[in-house]
Amino acid sequence: MKTWPLIWAGLAVVALVLARAVAVPDGWLWPPQAMHLPLARWISAGMAWLTDSAAIGPVTVKDLTRGFARLIEAPYEAARVLLVEGITEGRGRRATTIVPPLSWVAVTVAAVALGHYARDIWLGLIAGALMLYLAVFGQWDSAMITLASIVIAVPLGVAGGLGLGIAALHWRPFERVLSPVLDLMQTVPTFAYLVPVLVLFGFGPVAALLATVIYAMPPMVRVTLVALRGVPPEIVDFANMAGCTPGQRMRKVMLPVALPDLMVGVNQVIMLSLNMVIIASMIGAGGLGADVLESLRRLNIGGGIEAGLAITALAVVLDRLGQALATRAGGGRGAKGNWLRRHPRTVLVLAVTLISAAAGYLIPAVQDWPKEWTVTTKGFWADLMQWINVNYYDQLEALRNWTLVNLLIPVKDFLLALPWPFVLGTVALAGWALGGWRLAALTGALGLFLAATGLWEQAMITLYLCGVSVLIAMCIGVPLGIWAASGETAGKVIGAVIDTLQTLPSFVYLIPVVMLFRVGDFSAMIAVVLYALVPAVRYTAHGLRSVPEELIEAGIVSGATRGQILRKIRLPMAVPMMLLGLNQTILLALSMLVITALVGTRDLGQEVYIALTKADVGRGLVAGLSVAAIAIIADRLIGAAAKGARERLEGGA
Amino acid sequence: MTRPVKLACRHVWKLYGPHPERLVGKSPSLDEIRASGHVGAVRDVSLNIGEGEIFVIMGLSGSGKSTLVRCLSRLIEPTAGEILYDGEDLLKASPARMIEIRRHHMGMVFQHFALLPHLTVLENVAFPLEVQGMARPAREARAREVIALVGLQGREGHYPRQLSGGQQQRVGIARSLAVEPDLWFLDEPFSALDPLIRREMQEEFLRIQKQLKKTIVFITHDFDEAIRLADHIAIMKDGAVVQVASPEELVLAPADDYVRAFTAHVSRAKVITLGRIAVPGVPADVAGTLPAEARVEAVAEQVVTAGRPFAVEREGAVIGHVTPQAVIDVLIGRGG
Amino acid sequence: MTRMCLARAAATATALVLFGGMALAEVESEDPIKLTLHDWTGQLITTNIMAAVLEEAGYNVELVQADYLAQFAGLETGDLHVAMEIWETTGREAMDAAVAKGGVVNMGETGMLAKEEWWYPLYMKEKCPGLPDWKALNDCAAAFATAETGAKGRYLGGPVTWGGFDEERIAALGLNYEVIHAGTDAAMFAELESAYQRKDPILLWVYAPHWAPQKYEGEWVEFPPYEAACYTDPAWGSNPTATHDCGKPFGPIWKVGWAGLPEKWPGADKAIRAFHIENDAMGAMIAKVDLDGQTVEDVVNEWMDANEATWSAWIAK
Ligand SMILES: Nc1ncnc2c1ncn2[C@@H]1O[C@H](COP(=O)(O)OP(=O)(O)OP(=O)(O)O)[C@@H](O)[C@H]1O
Ligand SMILES: [Mg+2]
Repeated sequence: MKTWPLIWAGLAVVALVLARAVAVPDGWLWPPQAMHLPLARWISAGMAWLTDSAAIGPVTVKDLTRGFARLIEAPYEAARVLLVEGITEGRGRRATTIVPPLSWVAVTVAAVALGHYARDIWLGLIAGALMLYLAVFGQWDSAMITLASIVIAVPLGVAGGLGLGIAALHWRPFERVLSPVLDLMQTVPTFAYLVPVLVLFGFGPVAALLATVIYAMPPMVRVTLVALRGVPPEIVDFANMAGCTPGQRMRKVMLPVALPDLMVGVNQVIMLSLNMVIIASMIGAGGLGADVLESLRRLNIGGGIEAGLAITALAVVLDRLGQALATRAGGGRGAKGNWLRRHPRTVLVLAVTLISAAAGYLIPAVQDWPKEWTVTTKGFWADLMQWINVNYYDQLEALRNWTLVNLLIPVKDFLLALPWPFVLGTVALAGWALGGWRLAALTGALGLFLAATGLWEQAMITLYLCGVSVLIAMCIGVPLGIWAASGETAGKVIGAVIDTLQTLPSFVYLIPVVMLFRVGDFSAMIAVVLYALVPAVRYTAHGLRSVPEELIEAGIVSGATRGQILRKIRLPMAVPMMLLGLNQTILLALSMLVITALVGTRDLGQEVYIALTKADVGRGLVAGLSVAAIAIIADRLIGAAAKGARERLEGGA
Repeated sequence: MTRPVKLACRHVWKLYGPHPERLVGKSPSLDEIRASGHVGAVRDVSLNIGEGEIFVIMGLSGSGKSTLVRCLSRLIEPTAGEILYDGEDLLKASPARMIEIRRHHMGMVFQHFALLPHLTVLENVAFPLEVQGMARPAREARAREVIALVGLQGREGHYPRQLSGGQQQRVGIARSLAVEPDLWFLDEPFSALDPLIRREMQEEFLRIQKQLKKTIVFITHDFDEAIRLADHIAIMKDGAVVQVASPEELVLAPADDYVRAFTAHVSRAKVITLGRIAVPGVPADVAGTLPAEARVEAVAEQVVTAGRPFAVEREGAVIGHVTPQAVIDVLIGRGG
Repeated sequence: MTRMCLARAAATATALVLFGGMALAEVESEDPIKLTLHDWTGQLITTNIMAAVLEEAGYNVELVQADYLAQFAGLETGDLHVAMEIWETTGREAMDAAVAKGGVVNMGETGMLAKEEWWYPLYMKEKCPGLPDWKALNDCAAAFATAETGAKGRYLGGPVTWGGFDEERIAALGLNYEVIHAGTDAAMFAELESAYQRKDPILLWVYAPHWAPQKYEGEWVEFPPYEAACYTDPAWGSNPTATHDCGKPFGPIWKVGWAGLPEKWPGADKAIRAFHIENDAMGAMIAKVDLDGQTVEDVVNEWMDANEATWSAWIAK
């Protein structure tokens, strides 16, 4: 055990010497041409075959996927009719509305009623207030378009995740195949598979919806597996003894018992679906995402922030309502009497819907929030930006230059100067140290894949940008997490900020960042840090909070100060959780790369983006898979380290 | 007093490990099983469980009790053997037939209650009936009956988390009785409860059994509990049954040191019946008549206070008498 | 839950009946013609005008959000039907590839010309009086330099995906400049806005029609005018050993469509081919939307009202 630190120190010295002093001969710095496999060509050819000629019997794959898309289109259209379009006659500008969509009054009242039903009137009022925000800030129409696709995408993602999870539970071989596929679904950037999705599922909102589902579903599958496995074996035995058929056992016992855990997955699906709003809008979803993009294209920062916050508002409403509905105590059965009495809220919502629809013909303000009543903060944001820009640019520029010269550029030069066999060896060695030969084989193989793609340089730049960003995110996130865990108020405030950061599309802050720091790696780094900060804070706080009370009491009894308790008890105990946080931070940082490509980085993200704009499926997927390879290496190494840490703690306890 | 056999098992094996089915044909010894990297959770167990009796399975933790009882109800597929329920081999029953048998003939109570957290007491108890497709009014009426039987009236609308451990297990008992099973499995039903509550529940259990007369397979690792309840006890060790006997025989004639260790600290008065210490003949001055099945502990006070012998009868016929001295001898552990 | 589902199903059913029952006798097919929308204002205006005109002619039209280059996959298969703005400067390659494959047809010029070139704000003329002549650039490289580029001037190029041959141009013309690529045009104009607020030096790629040259006072750098030979023949131009010793090409903005469109909707095909609008008119409309904050819809309606004679000719039988 004691030898590893020495080995790592030795390797570090070798690396420094290699990077600084030795001129590495050709073919050793970056993998030689001869090693490159024409992966992009193979994948493009495979994709072309899949989309053009692959067939199952007489039905081509494309017909099949198109049919599936049409199946989804029906409920989606219905949701749009209800929320966005109403029933109209004619199309486009000649369309006349026969029955209007739900009015803002009706939807807001429904949100309040649902909140009240799910928990209490406070939740109802919060939900209502957030809906009102959408109306007041003129985001209503776009928000309803987004909502229409979310209300279809989330159930699809949840149902799909449940289905796959259940299948994997019953059928081990399937689980073994599914697990790496999920890894890829989570780590390959969406941009990389956008074009095949478009070709297979048609252009338009449905393809966007499906891309959203692909992106948002994996956590649901994993949570389903864990949650169902976590059902106590006694309960499963009971279900069998009660004479449940397999179907009854799943529906009536396993799923309801696992529900609280499953809701964690539902929450993830909601959050990730809303994360996809921007990208989905690029391929036809419209709605708030399109508003964000359009605003930013016009440098309307305020407009971007307002639309971005509207996405956050939707996320908060959906998430809180979902959580409350799942944990709702069964008090609902109390009411007696006829249907009208038992369902006062449903009656109220129906009444408001009808009345507001009718009143809408006389007073349009009831149907659509009038334009004159909308508020905008556009001017404020523009002035604020200008003020900062004009008064503080020099200081900010100095900060930027200092960081570039002292941190970013040295790290980049160092990584780019390392010979590839050395990097590969280090990765495999780390795998061996942390998880034995199996892990070493996996990390080594993935490293070799990176070498064979011909994207080594981009991969190293990715490593550098992500590495530095993750480092900074941890440096900021861990103290914030400690602070959040230190008290109720701090926890609440930081929690709210974190939630916002997670759901606010990064595009919203990307443009102001560019205005202050210009295009380039520094701006990219700021965007990555802001986004990847979230798990660093959250997991640290969670880890610290869940240290057993007994241990802390033991510390207090032995006369430890607050600082000592934190350093000697809480932090060490929270290490496994914090490592998980680090893991998530890395994954999020990697997932931001494609977005930071938009401010001019030159990493794998840019490669994916270039491939997208050239509709080059193979190139995009190879770059995407390279990102996934890095993500999986990091994930497995840290996972092994966390496991080791946990075992040490438990063994010691 | 032999009862008709309700449930029997013949040479039941359950091995865990890489190739259990290959190993089992050879009737391997414990060492062979271990050497080949397997776990012998149940080894060659044969039992006869009579109708209407309380059959207790005892053993240390890990001795295979739960595994055996799950083999008997076929929750676990045994590696080899036969399970005969009313003469029908359960291991050959189709899945549909198994569901049918469990729906109407078996009930089970679990150590950790296994209540469904999302259902109320009433819904939990009615659940096995719901699964059968019984209409709501009928199943709720039946559920209310069993809830009354276990003394939980008024709690029908509560959720499990709102109940104490003892109350939760009453719900578990009520639920297992809702379908009127004739085979009742209880896997350490009272182990998770406090000693006082445990005692109370045991009495409750005996009361219910007196009323219902089910065939019961009861698991415990608490020998006191076993002798309080059992008609027969099977002692398990490392997956095998070491001895099957009445509590009294176990104490008086333990098959080996393992069983002896179990019974060593048991007060003999708790297990020895009057039938065993009765001597032939009936003196003239008997103070009364006592049943031969009565345990010494239960009648000691009566006999000693009376200061005179009691006649002992079995199934209506007088078989002899007991003297206060004989009772005192048992109480203080002298002779036997 | 079931109630909701039923309500939805009923709504769809009604919607289907209503849509299905609509008859428009005078057009060849009632299937909607799908026009693609991208994310820049000019394109939104062009497309919405075209959609409005087609609707006036009785066609059903659907507007679909699609990526500028990814859309070709949809145009080839007939999932999408019309893309109103393919710029010579940025989309030519993809357009030619798609046309060569056979699924897509070029439907002619829109009448607008795409201009792209190096551009600077007017206040830079004080620091670099020789502008707009490109020969002045080297003398004031220092004025355009930043910490990252050292002594070299900083030129903010478009996203890598736009191509543009700026590295080649710099080498061929011997300019002491370095290209920094922005990732998107939003990022590019964010830098311009920021620098313009502070009156700081900036030299970047600007294109028209766009709101930027309308909003900011500035000028294009004047390079030797582009000719096809300049990009292919080293002998051409001031540097006899290198290509790209000239400015960027000017070029039309094209309309493209699905190859099956002329057959399915001959009338619409004619109207789309006839569509014509000029840079000045478009520039004014873009400014109304992006700078004055009007909605695209209003601007398009205004144009439709004012130009009835023009567009009715496009759809005249
Ligand atoms: N699924 C399994 N895989 C491998 N071994 C198992 C499995 N289930 C049980 N065993 C082993 O079988 C043996 C018997 O277990 P069982 O649960 O039946 O014991 P028990 O007598 O009920 O113990 P306790 O009193 O703790 O409940 C144990 O050694 C256990 O480790
Ligand atoms: Mg057990």
